[in-house]
Amino acid sequence: MSLIRLIILSLFFFTQVQANTIYNLIKIPNLEIYEINTPNKLRYLYAKEPFTIGVNNNINCYNSEKNILDKKYQIIKNNLDKYSQEFLKKINLKYIVLCEDLSISKINTAGIPDNVMKTLILDIKFKENYFERVIHHEVFHIINDSYKKLFDEKTWSTFNIEEFKYAKCSTCTDKLGLDTFTNTEGFFSEYSKSTASEDMAEVFSHLMIGINLKNIDPILEKKIQFIKINLLKIDQNFIL
Amino acid sequence: MIKKIKASRSEKVILIFILFLGIFSFSSFFLIKDKCLFVKNYDPQKITFDNPENIAVLNISCGNVIIELYPDVSPVAVKRFKTLVDSKAYDDVAFHRVIKNTLVQAGDLEFGKKNNLDYGKIGTGKSGLGTINSEINSPFNFNRGSVGLARTQKYNTEDSQFFIILKDEPLYETEYTPIGKVIYGIEALEKIKYLDKSQYVLRPDFINSLRMLVN
Repeated sequence: MSLIRLIILSLFFFTQVQANTIYNLIKIPNLEIYEINTPNKLRYLYAKEPFTIGVNNNINCYNSEKNILDKKYQIIKNNLDKYSQEFLKKINLKYIVLCEDLSISKINTAGIPDNVMKTLILDIKFKENYFERVIHHEVFHIINDSYKKLFDEKTWSTFNIEEFKYAKCSTCTDKLGLDTFTNTEGFFSEYSKSTASEDMAEVFSHLMIGINLKNIDPILEKKIQFIKINLLKIDQNFIL
Repeated sequence: MIKKIKASRSEKVILIFILFLGIFSFSSFFLIKDKCLFVKNYDPQKITFDNPENIAVLNISCGNVIIELYPDVSPVAVKRFKTLVDSKAYDDVAFHRVIKNTLVQAGDLEFGKKNNLDYGKIGTGKSGLGTINSEINSPFNFNRGSVGLARTQKYNTEDSQFFIILKDEPLYETEYTPIGKVIYGIEALEKIKYLDKSQYVLRPDFINSLRMLVN
């Protein structure tokens, strides 16, 4: 027992204060720089060790093997390179955190956007089929959080048929499917039906990956125009 | 009758060794106490500068730290800094936040003055001139010796506090407003008092004076 005490005491006395620049900037521990010399000045960071953040430590994510990280980084970068530095600045996105098995309150999630800290945490092991699309989906949440007034949910909801009601939150429903509908009827995917904000993010992400727009129904057409018009209000040079 | 014993050669060697050891220990005691012993003190009057009007001389316990200011990069921030330097506001202000081999921070004019040090509030003080907007759009290489204005977690909250980094910090670009770079005397900054277990320093070192080379 006394030996353990001695070890703990010596740790206390000999542990030096560490200057963790990344933690000071975005309040996420255990991160290191992956790449910061990017054309749009996005800074890619990766989890060197697992980290826990959030209210009551409810957000967890884990470090990845280097080969997975290298492979997924290329995919993520190719997609995020579609956004200009000016646009990213306007929406307040600067740091991309790469880790795996990301969860919030033990519910797995593809990404966690935080426009206040200018950070998007991405689960690099999220389902392959939707991986590229969810990157843009999460970027939309950053856009939405930065421009709440532009993407007014009440206005958006009027595009749907009168009988339709969204759930109160994205996790308050079992409408979680991400497959793109062949028969859209106002929604790109089942997850679109969860909340207005998720619906917008699904429209945006489908547009960003270049979905075939030949058989779009009138409701979805209104939603697409709504997204496009408001994006141009943020940045006149934004190409969708 | 006392018989005189002659010291052998080995005894003489041991005696000389002990004498040397004593002299070395004695002198080391005083030399080690002088933390500035190997720090070169630069005299700005003996150096030729391209832009002397943008040279600031920070005098601290181990000598002069010569900073070149960059008004072209951050005009508003440099103007604020020069205003405070000209009013001698930084004299006797503490280096209240120091991280070994990483960063020194000073400039709390409200709670960091030598005669009015408030450990409970240090780092939160204001200059009385109000905050200024962050100037973070110009490319700037935050390498060792870079000087920037400190801020709160929010942008556009810069005031009087400044930091000098003692190692490269590439992530500071577009985060903090740069105002200049140390061109001589960074070694003196490495001798500023720090604590092992806290970034905030009890009984800190102080700025002796901070002046523009040309008034």
